[in-house]
Amino acid sequence: MGLWEAFLNWLRSLFFKQEMELSLIGLQNAGKTSLVNVVATGGYSEDMIPTVGFNMRKVTKGNVTIKLWDLGGQPRFRSMWERYCRAVSAIVYVVDAADPDNLSISRSELHDLLSKPSLSGIPLLVLGNKIDKAGALSKQALTDQMDLKSITDREVCCFMISCKNSTNIDSVIDWLVKHSKSKS
Amino acid sequence: MAQPLAKKDDDRDDEADYSPFMGIEKGAVLQEARVFNDPQLDARRCSQVITKLLYLLNQGETFTKVEATEVFFSVTKLFQSRDLGLRRMVYLIIKELSPSADEVIIVTSSLMKDMNSKTDMYRANAIRVLCRITDGTLLTQIERYLKQAIVDKNPVVASAALVSGIHLLQTNPEIVKRWSNEVQEAVQSRAALVQFHALALLHQIRQNDRLAVSKLVTSLTRGSVRSPLAQCLLIRYTSQVIRESGNNTQSGERPFYDFLESCLRHKSEMVIFEAAKAITDLNGVTTRELTPAITVLQLFLSSSKPVLRFAAVRTLNKVAMTHPMAVTNCNIDMESLISDQNRSIATLAITTLLKTGNESSVDRLMKQITNFMSDIADEFKIVVVEAIRSLCLKFPLKYRSLMNFLSNILREEGGFDYKKAIVDSIVILIRDIPDAKESGLLHLCEFIEDCEFTYLSTQILHFIGIEGPKTLDPSKYIRYIYNRVHLENATVRASAVSTLAKFGASVDALKPRIFVLLRRCLFDSDDEVRDRATLYLSTLGGDLENDEDVRDFLFGSLDTPLANLESSLKNYVPSEVAFDIRLVPKEVKSQPLTEKKAQGKKPTGLGAPPSAPPSTVDSYERQLLSIPEFANFGKLFKSSEPVELTEAETEYAVNVVKHIFDTHVVFQYNCTNTIPEQLLEDVFVIVDASEAEEFSQVFSKPVRSLPYDSPGQTFVAFEKPEGLPTTGKFSNTLKFIVKEVDPTSGEAEDDGVEDEYQLEDLDVVAADYILRVGVSNFRNAWESIDPDSERVDEYGLGPRESLSEAVNTVINLLGMQPCEGTEVVPPNSRSHTCLLSGVFIGGVKVLVRLSFGLDGAKDVAMKLSVRSDDVSVSDAIHEIVASG
Repeated sequence: MGLWEAFLNWLRSLFFKQEMELSLIGLQNAGKTSLVNVVATGGYSEDMIPTVGFNMRKVTKGNVTIKLWDLGGQPRFRSMWERYCRAVSAIVYVVDAADPDNLSISRSELHDLLSKPSLSGIPLLVLGNKIDKAGALSKQALTDQMDLKSITDREVCCFMISCKNSTNIDSVIDWLVKHSKSKS
Repeated sequence: MAQPLAKKDDDRDDEADYSPFMGIEKGAVLQEARVFNDPQLDARRCSQVITKLLYLLNQGETFTKVEATEVFFSVTKLFQSRDLGLRRMVYLIIKELSPSADEVIIVTSSLMKDMNSKTDMYRANAIRVLCRITDGTLLTQIERYLKQAIVDKNPVVASAALVSGIHLLQTNPEIVKRWSNEVQEAVQSRAALVQFHALALLHQIRQNDRLAVSKLVTSLTRGSVRSPLAQCLLIRYTSQVIRESGNNTQSGERPFYDFLESCLRHKSEMVIFEAAKAITDLNGVTTRELTPAITVLQLFLSSSKPVLRFAAVRTLNKVAMTHPMAVTNCNIDMESLISDQNRSIATLAITTLLKTGNESSVDRLMKQITNFMSDIADEFKIVVVEAIRSLCLKFPLKYRSLMNFLSNILREEGGFDYKKAIVDSIVILIRDIPDAKESGLLHLCEFIEDCEFTYLSTQILHFIGIEGPKTLDPSKYIRYIYNRVHLENATVRASAVSTLAKFGASVDALKPRIFVLLRRCLFDSDDEVRDRATLYLSTLGGDLENDEDVRDFLFGSLDTPLANLESSLKNYVPSEVAFDIRLVPKEVKSQPLTEKKAQGKKPTGLGAPPSAPPSTVDSYERQLLSIPEFANFGKLFKSSEPVELTEAETEYAVNVVKHIFDTHVVFQYNCTNTIPEQLLEDVFVIVDASEAEEFSQVFSKPVRSLPYDSPGQTFVAFEKPEGLPTTGKFSNTLKFIVKEVDPTSGEAEDDGVEDEYQLEDLDVVAADYILRVGVSNFRNAWESIDPDSERVDEYGLGPRESLSEAVNTVINLLGMQPCEGTEVVPPNSRSHTCLLSGVFIGGVKVLVRLSFGLDGAKDVAMKLSVRSDDVSVSDAIHEIVASG
């Protein structure tokens, strides 16, 4: 790559949109597809069907175009998550904060995934969803139960959100946009 | 090699000279496939890489599991691109890679999204891919969309859904059957392709319901079908309905014939041809029905399109076999086709002419063929040879010129299959036309003087050995045979020695001379030749008293199946104990169904054994009597055909032969173990005769050991009341001890596990007690039996498919031999008489006269007259029919 081309790239980044790629994972019924809809259109629907495979969405926020790989959370897809997380800007892991029974499974799936060498160093964003429901965990409790403190090899961040009420969605988008710049 | 495209663009002249696919190599393409993972996709480049992958797959290149998975997942990333062309390639590669079910499911959601997209191309292709990868549970989820797609106004989408329906019908019939209403609507579509696909699917949905198919055809033949392809399908379905409806209409007018006839005037050639073909294929078609079809085919014969000429001449060729007279009108057109540039057309034309021609035109045609033979390929020459063979059997008087023709082409150059066809034809002529024997044999002798095919030489020598001694002057063949001993390779020399010995055994006058020749063969350089010469010298040189044995030895056939002999010899370990051929199992291995079908085409010519093999009853009897426990059962009355007790391709294949004795019944279970990793020991069958009260088990003989793929027999014997046709139902269970076999060493473990295997039930029916024995003159035989023994009664058989079905049912029920061809019911007849003869257990001759009549629409009534030397037997026959 010549100097000229490097200069052009720099020029482009000033005037044109930036791109980032995210993969959205988590157990089934955590609210991944709902999150995509909220981020993309702001709409929310109670009536969702399980994702069989993946959904691919492109969302533009400000001058950043976000490619979203929204993957199915059923057990038969979990082994395939890793293939769609390679070389993304950030991994977004959605947890149902109001479903304490499945938290331990969610934790072990997350830690299994992060142990893959191909994914080392990729920033992780953990989202505790459904805080509108009664009995949802607090951020501190979720951090403890998901054992997020033990992840030291990458940047980890955690937000508590509600897709239904659009709580905290803005901060999520801000975080994401910020991370698109670090990666280029 | 001029490339028109290259001329347009001078810059690309160099590249255009070779294929764009040259030098594509799997490893490199797999490397290139990494572009699918690029963050910035280059759609054009990705399409090219997929094209290369598809090319490799179509060339038969295989990808390992890892490679395919890797490519598949990177292809799924391409769903992010909105490029139409690339998406299309993605659909294709997903279908072609067909990854395993647990992986391919990852694209489901994306495909479902595409299926409801606004782009028609996405929708159509997504439907096709989705239906290819889907399973039953998913199908119920997307069923709603598919039903909508069927009636979509875009024909491409509708066709995609309909074709997918046809595929899904194989795996999920109950779901597709729910779409009938939508499919029916699609049949009325204005788009040709949609109509075609809809009709095909609708028929498949209903194909098992004869009435529904008939209704479908009835409604559509009134003329709502516009697409020519759909019209062709309709013609096929119509002829199927005609075939199944039988010819029982009152007026003799065939239903739907008018429709077929009207299709002959359709504007599309495809439809005209399909209709003509359907008419010629009609069951028992009359000349009047045939004429319009032949007329349009005749027009096609002079068409400028080779495909039409070919189709027409091929159909006429088939018609010529059944209705030669109807085709004669086309003879003039056909003769001009003999010089057609397309050799397939020419060959079919000439063979058709051979079939339709009369005796006087044979010579002229033969002359024409001779000019033409040198220009055609071997496979067509074989067609001609076969036509000549049948011609010769039709006009035996013409054998001289035909035989000359055959011997001439036999001398010319040609491959093995061609020569074999000629030799087979000559052999058949020799067998069927006695006058042709001498000249035919001499032609064969001349042929082996200069024959490059060892197989043909040995076969011909064998044949001469059988037929030669029966001629007037056997000595003249000796020279040809003995020449072989000097000039040929060892295999041919050995069979020449055998042939010489056969002449010696059959013709006493030649014996001393044969001895001289055989003695010379003792100095041959080959072991086998010397061995045979020595063997025959001592056989022939023995006492005159065992002349019969000598012949039996030379001409008799081996009653041990060669496959069994081969496997026994392979298993034989050289030891103190000599190999004993008597220990080789005589039971032929049960073959898979497909092979059995293939056998139906009986080899004629050299392949077929010249003498009938010893009757199966004889060989069964010998086999049974060698078992001491059965020795006192008396004479074997009848052995049934083997009845399969297991499905094809199960772990253990078992069939049973019922041996009927006067006071006993023996079941011979032929068992084959089809699992290489198992050895079965102490195999026997537990028979539950609780539904066969009059039978009592007396004896059971197990198979000691049943290794993989070598059949063994276990026997169970029952006692039954003497001379009576006792019937019953038996349920069977196979019991055995399984031992695991180490596949590498082939040795079995010491410890086995007891196991059992449920077999199907077995019935002993009345037909088992009647031998199929024909009489040559039924009338004489009938009248020679005392009319007082006759027992007559009438039976109503109820509604039947057709008269011939009713006749066959009764014949099979009685298990008797139909006489004088009366088992065939002429089409359109309302009544029929069938004559049967047989021998009842106890050796009593029985004759049966069956008169059938159609009563009302489908009701069949039957009058049964029985004559027999023993009145009780006549009554027994009535009892069988009454209870059946």
